[in-house]
Amino acid sequence: MPDIRRGDVTPDCLNVLLHVWDALDDQLTPAAADMLHEHVAACDKCRKYQRFQAKFLQALATLRSRQCAPRQVRLRVLDSLVTAGYSPP
Amino acid sequence: MQIANNAFRTQDVAFEQEAIPWIDDVYRFALSLTRDESDADDVVQDTFLRAYRSWHTYMPGSDCRRWLFTICRNVFLRSRERARPTVELDATELDSIAVGSLYSAAVRDGYDDVFTRLDLAPAITAALAKIPEPFRSTLIIVDVEDQSYESAAEVLGVPIGTVRSRLFRGRRLMQEQLLTYASDAGFGPRAAPARAATKCQTFAEETSHQTA
Repeated sequence: MPDIRRGDVTPDCLNVLLHVWDALDDQLTPAAADMLHEHVAACDKCRKYQRFQAKFLQALATLRSRQCAPRQVRLRVLDSLVTAGYSPP
Repeated sequence: MQIANNAFRTQDVAFEQEAIPWIDDVYRFALSLTRDESDADDVVQDTFLRAYRSWHTYMPGSDCRRWLFTICRNVFLRSRERARPTVELDATELDSIAVGSLYSAAVRDGYDDVFTRLDLAPAITAALAKIPEPFRSTLIIVDVEDQSYESAAEVLGVPIGTVRSRLFRGRRLMQEQLLTYASDAGFGPRAAPARAATKCQTFAEETSHQTA
């Protein structure tokens, strides 16, 4: 990503800066996505920036499979459900 | 009597198959909301109890996890006797520009590949706990639980645009935390994360007038 503080940002780079997460989240319209991807393919700095943001989102996603409900929580849930009439099949 | 028993039996089988398997996901979400294991236990218990009692309102074959998350959030809000936040920050451009500045600082200090070189799970968990609501629950739903913006909007009871603005703010705060962690862990050759963050904020504030 070009250094914005030095003012060397083109409109296309600024577009990447503002919408890189929209692009990674598939929230852009097809036309906007094409325009952004076209620039990223041609701009080394923006490509590195997009890769950095993609790795960041991947790092967040790694949390998903790591934490399970403790056994006592499962038992509490089951007890309260049984009290409410639930009969485990 | 027999018909009623069969109906209850059918409900229990459906509940067992569709709702119970999501207990880990609901627990993680409850923990992210409460930030306290004991409180999370209570919220999870109450969530499943309410879900069981309201099972007739669940549409078979729809997204049961989303339905449970919605109940979970309502249980949490009720438990805190707190109304849904009504003040929204509409500053996604500001956050995006600040994140760009954060990245520039990371490149300068030599930890721009931090997300590929470190096992960040403990740091992410710690950082997530420091993210204030409502940004944290939005991050959890979209980035950790891999739900769509639409699902998050439904669970949180806010428009999709609000999900986006909360998400971007949450991600910005997370990057600040994680890059600070990388610096403290001696990952880069040298670093001044606090100063960098301050710079980012100042820069973002300045730039917001230019980009508006």
